[in-house]
Amino acid sequence: MMHLYVVESADFQFLQHQTGMTPGNLSSHLRKLEDAGYVEVTKEFVDRTPHTALKLTRKGREAFKEYRRNVKRLIEKLPE
Amino acid sequence: MTKQNTLREIEKKAYMSYHQDGLLDIFVGLYAIAFGLGMIADKILEFGFGAIMPAILIAIVLPIWIEAKRKITMPRIGFVKFGTRGSNKLFALLLGLAVAGLGVFMLFGVFLATGQIGRPWWIEILFQYGMIWIGLGSAVIGSLFAYTMGLKRLYGYGLLTFALFASGHFLSIPFEYLLLAIGSVIIASGAVLLVQFIRRYPLPKGAQGNVAQ
Repeated sequence: MMHLYVVESADFQFLQHQTGMTPGNLSSHLRKLEDAGYVEVTKEFVDRTPHTALKLTRKGREAFKEYRRNVKRLIEKLPE
Repeated sequence: MTKQNTLREIEKKAYMSYHQDGLLDIFVGLYAIAFGLGMIADKILEFGFGAIMPAILIAIVLPIWIEAKRKITMPRIGFVKFGTRGSNKLFALLLGLAVAGLGVFMLFGVFLATGQIGRPWWIEILFQYGMIWIGLGSAVIGSLFAYTMGLKRLYGYGLLTFALFASGHFLSIPFEYLLLAIGSVIIASGAVLLVQFIRRYPLPKGAQGNVAQ
């Protein structure tokens, strides 16, 4: 989610390079995020080749922001 | 490392991986060389190549650069669309450069207008150390792009340009030859980056690279 949070959209190959995950692993993560309504998958043709663009939905962005806030609060509560 | 820093690092990594292919360097270098050659042709053929060359080059180089990005970079690392935050910063920079360029043209206008009736002392100084000013301007512009785009090698190009133009001033090397030298160095650096990029990101087998599995 972090990798999609910092860009507007990216394709599967780009995410694979950035995360270093195997195709199967990444695909399974993305499917779960798509089912949760956090990631939007758009299939289109670019230069006559199938292209899958992935982007965080508004719900996904909000969820990630909330996650960041929670982690920050948790870290602040930790003793020095 | 804080969460904020991690996000910045990830954003930077995504951005850098897309701009470490050396294509930008190769085309900027080609632009400098073609501009230098245009100026040389200008002297030999006495035709206004120097004046029209930048426009011709942009019309030729830009579509080739976009196509090269599509054929070389995208099949290797995939496609990414960055948010508008960076574009706005870049747009502000380009607007600033356009205004600065207009200012330089106006300054040249002043040079020409005052050429017949004697120039003020400060214009004389600008003329006398013209190469150094151009070098300094290039270093500033290079640094601005380096800062905006987060590409550290552009600082190096800016410094190199300044060093070459300053030495060109003292060694009386013609402007066009300096452009050829700078263009060659930038192309060589871009070629090295391109080879490294192609080795680091080989073409995926088959055409399934950007299709979700």
